[in-house]
Amino acid sequence: MTNELRAAWAVARKELLIARRYPLQLVTEVLQPLYQFLLPSLLLGATFYVGGRAIGLEASAGTDDLAGFLFIGIIVAGVVAAAFWDMAFGLKREMDSGTLEPMWLTPTRPDTTVLGRAISGMIVNSVASIILIAAGVIFFGAALGGALLPAVPVLLLATISMVGVGYMVAAGVLMIREPNFMVDATNFVFSTLSGVAFPIVVLPLFLQPIAYALPTTYAVDLIRHYALETRPLLDPGLEWAVLVAFAVGTVAVGRWLFLRTEHRMRVRGTTGQH
Amino acid sequence: MSRHLPTRADLMADLRAFGAAGMKEWRLLRRYPSMFLGFLFWPIALPLAYVYQAQAYSGGQQAASDAFAARAGTTEVAAFLFLGWAAYMWISMILWGPGTSLRNEQVRGSLEALFMTPVSRLVILFGPVVSQVVWAIWMFAVVGGALTLFFGFRLSVLEAMRALGIILVAVPALYGLGALFAAVVLRFGEVGALVQTVRGIFTVFCGMTFPIIILPEWARGVALALPPTYLIGDLRQVLLAGADLASLIPELAVLLTLGIGLCGLAVVAFRRTERYARRGGSLAQY
Repeated sequence: MTNELRAAWAVARKELLIARRYPLQLVTEVLQPLYQFLLPSLLLGATFYVGGRAIGLEASAGTDDLAGFLFIGIIVAGVVAAAFWDMAFGLKREMDSGTLEPMWLTPTRPDTTVLGRAISGMIVNSVASIILIAAGVIFFGAALGGALLPAVPVLLLATISMVGVGYMVAAGVLMIREPNFMVDATNFVFSTLSGVAFPIVVLPLFLQPIAYALPTTYAVDLIRHYALETRPLLDPGLEWAVLVAFAVGTVAVGRWLFLRTEHRMRVRGTTGQH
Repeated sequence: MSRHLPTRADLMADLRAFGAAGMKEWRLLRRYPSMFLGFLFWPIALPLAYVYQAQAYSGGQQAASDAFAARAGTTEVAAFLFLGWAAYMWISMILWGPGTSLRNEQVRGSLEALFMTPVSRLVILFGPVVSQVVWAIWMFAVVGGALTLFFGFRLSVLEAMRALGIILVAVPALYGLGALFAAVVLRFGEVGALVQTVRGIFTVFCGMTFPIIILPEWARGVALALPPTYLIGDLRQVLLAGADLASLIPELAVLLTLGIGLCGLAVVAFRRTERYARRGGSLAQY
């Protein structure tokens, strides 16, 4: 167990070393959410302002702090993106460079290497989130100060859940082999249905059960509730319980699914193909 | 080597090469069917997320909806957002298109061979983007279909023709921009960060999700210097406000002028970069 953890940390350090070689890419981690999501969303919100206040958002979500609402959303979206791109899609990069099969020939378990990618992805995402929160508070007047303390355990639970989801997506990446669209689209749908951009009560009724089946829905809802005093979807105690259940359940199911897929690929001898 | 003015035969040969370059790109696209899914998914999913966001911002409050209508000049929130994002996706395609095409040739090792052929450099620069015009039309058709099916948006043939006219007027400006990026690829080998930056500037200033009237004065000045602002604004004018093309002539003239300027700039930049790459022997390097 300790050896596997050391191996996971070694993989994470390798990934962080590679990331440091591309500083522009690291800058994009902060800038892209800002221009691709936050600024267009803030400006759209400003179009609905009445007397300088977001009265519509107050009616639908229980807060008129538009910036705070969106910045909390983007932090959770970052956790989702780390699981989908760094953890799962990273396998595709190993496939393309021809290093996946040799890596899996080492005595380290395949799921440990994926976990290492998750750790590095989450570290980069955490740094990006801290910068984004600072930008939100300083430049956009987001009232996030009170959210930081309860947000830490919520984000931790959401991150563990997303590691499980990342394992599931990684299994999909191994099977599909041309997974760019699959990862991109599912990442987008996952984030959107979690309510990172709007309260999920505005979704059509047939989509709401899917939203309630995602761990990040509860994470984003709890942080907003504590920081901005928004109306929670369920009783906060129940949301905590659901988050814990997801953290345990998704990791167990995701890891099982990933190892099963990897075993099938070994049996068929298709690990090196892409 | 003596230079001569292009003859009719030269022009015909270049036209054939232009068609062949477009056909080659189209065949490559056909080999990756998952891209077709993307061209169906994103034009609907991306704007739809913003439509739900707009519903949350409105919150069923008439005053909030009225505020949007007063600033945007329309009550059709869904159509407003779908048109903005359709333009964004088209622009994304164009910014990535010619540059990525040259970069792919470079990586495959066929760029140097391509430059050894006697075809005009304009064919190499603009040929691959012909296939993307098909995707642009497809994307706007998907957006039109989604608006009609899901939001009951009515689009007359005349309005569709006016929108097509605006798209055609925007072609030189946007493809000139794409060609400029291609020149950057040839010079520096990588263009990702620059494309992201320019795309970010367009998203923030050009009104993809909002009317530019809500921007501060200085930002509006920036917006009016960028071609996508006119494309998005004019498309909304003809499709949502019932404007005819005659009333948009001043704006279309600006768009066309920007297009001619950008295409000219792209050709000059491309020739200089090509000369630089030939002298330095860097065409095949990446």
